[in-house]
Amino acid sequence: MPYFSQELTKIIEGYLKRYETKRSSILPILHAVQDEKDWISDQDVDALDKEFGLSAVDIREVLTFYTMYRKSPPKPYRFEICKSISCWLLGANETILAVRKEIEKAEKEGRPLPFEVHGVECLGQCGYAPSTLINKDRHNNVTPEKALALIKEYGSKELPKAAINCAANAKK
Amino acid sequence: MPVIKNEYLGRKPDEFRILLGLEGHPDSRNLKTYLEKSNGYKALEKVLKGGMSPDDVINTVKASGLRGRGGAGFPTGLKWSFVPKGQGEKYLITNFDEGEPGTYKDCYISEVTPHSLVEGKIIASYAIGAQKSYIYIRGEFYNEIKWCEKAIQEAYDAGYLGDNIMGSGFKHHMDVYCGAGAYICGEETGLISSLEGKKGQPKLKPPFPAVKGYLGKPTVVNNVESLAVVPWIINNGPDAYKKYGTEKSPGTKLFNISGPIVHPGCYELPLGYPLMRFINEDCGGLLDGKKLKAVIPGGSSAPVLTAKECENVTLDYESIASAGSMLGSGAIIVIPEGVGMPSILENLMDFYSHESCGQCTPCREGTGWLYKISKHILKGNATRSEFERINMVANNMRGKTICVLSDAAADPARAIIAKYAHEFEPYLKG
Repeated sequence: MPYFSQELTKIIEGYLKRYETKRSSILPILHAVQDEKDWISDQDVDALDKEFGLSAVDIREVLTFYTMYRKSPPKPYRFEICKSISCWLLGANETILAVRKEIEKAEKEGRPLPFEVHGVECLGQCGYAPSTLINKDRHNNVTPEKALALIKEYGSKELPKAAINCAANAKK
Repeated sequence: MPVIKNEYLGRKPDEFRILLGLEGHPDSRNLKTYLEKSNGYKALEKVLKGGMSPDDVINTVKASGLRGRGGAGFPTGLKWSFVPKGQGEKYLITNFDEGEPGTYKDCYISEVTPHSLVEGKIIASYAIGAQKSYIYIRGEFYNEIKWCEKAIQEAYDAGYLGDNIMGSGFKHHMDVYCGAGAYICGEETGLISSLEGKKGQPKLKPPFPAVKGYLGKPTVVNNVESLAVVPWIINNGPDAYKKYGTEKSPGTKLFNISGPIVHPGCYELPLGYPLMRFINEDCGGLLDGKKLKAVIPGGSSAPVLTAKECENVTLDYESIASAGSMLGSGAIIVIPEGVGMPSILENLMDFYSHESCGQCTPCREGTGWLYKISKHILKGNATRSEFERINMVANNMRGKTICVLSDAAADPARAIIAKYAHEFEPYLKG
């Protein structure tokens, strides 16, 4: 039985044909795997090698160099807050701290939130600082108050499909 | 006082629009809007149907004096002319790996007028003889990726891309390629490595990409803004373009202003526009009436200028260079009184030590040490000799590596400790 889902297999095959060399398809394929499973495991790398003829060494080189690829199972929502100079000048650190505290507080109270927080490098939205991403959604001018409201908003939503897949795979 | 062109007096920035003419239009990204309101694809028609040869296009862009808008300011037409003539695979890649702290202009172009980029790319590809081009875009730019993909699809559907564009026999295909989080991929050879599916580590030059680039074939890497302005230059001619800006820095440029400013945003200004007038009048000055302490004029890699040094600066390559910094990507970061420069240093060095690709020792170790020392100082644990070591480390980083990320960390560090040494004093032991 093929390792990847039918849908993902189709996407991978599309990328393999799309560029001048097979190797160029590694970055987009890893994005696609992550979009479905929320992170990229050793088994995923091996399957890409065995089933699609991409070199595991080449894949690992890419996987470990670029920061967007997750190499361990993440929480359903990644709250990424820009900490570079422009956002920092407008209080990004306070936003990061407020989110971190909220997550820790909830953890202590036994109601863990589906969030993890990261201070990340420039998100290219310096005029609308502090800029943030929650998974693929951009939110700008995120003050600590706005950040806490966003946690509430996302926390009450249905979990993203990738997070559900990720949890299901962990049980296997 | 700087010499200011008379025509700038009494005029607002939005009277100088070349690239952002569609700003504020509700459907600015649609092909229909671009065609109707912005002379869309008329330049491509002029090139392909009006009998312009590839050399004519290169010469027009050369004559306009357009300089690369990514940061280095290298003349765009000249860059194109380095590509070997004749048949064979060649590539054009748009550098949309916008990641220099302070810079968000390319995002804004794709938000307002992505078709300008697509049209500019087709024209540039015709000029250098490229049959395939890519937009290499940061993986985090989820919206911008969609906007670029949509514009490309619309261009295919309308026959501006394909095997026989406008019946001219010119064949060109375009695709978007997404990065995965690495500032270094904004360096052109690092970008090419990444597009080849490798670590985004820069390569030694020469050979330059124009001779040996993507997959070993001649490749031109241009910034988004440099390409997006090309249709206007073709439509209106180099002389019209040179009416804007200064003699050595012709045209307009997008400036992104950030930090505690009343009206932050992306502005199109003629080069040579006075910096302080821009900050105080057009951008409404600093938030809460704060006083200006310093300005980083061209993205975080540009050495800091004190408020006093900014007084007579105009926004063009030469004026900022003679003040001791660089225009870079046009990202103006405003630093108010009350923010300590030791903290600024730590923040900047944190960025560079994180983003160094690790290939060259002076950069990998140097950026790491600059970050460690600046952290050490902020905690009050550093001695004077450690503070002075910043200069030694920075001097050993300059000009000793494959790409300029190392210099981009060393220069701002040196400028901060040279201009604001007194602010470090209270932190030092002994």
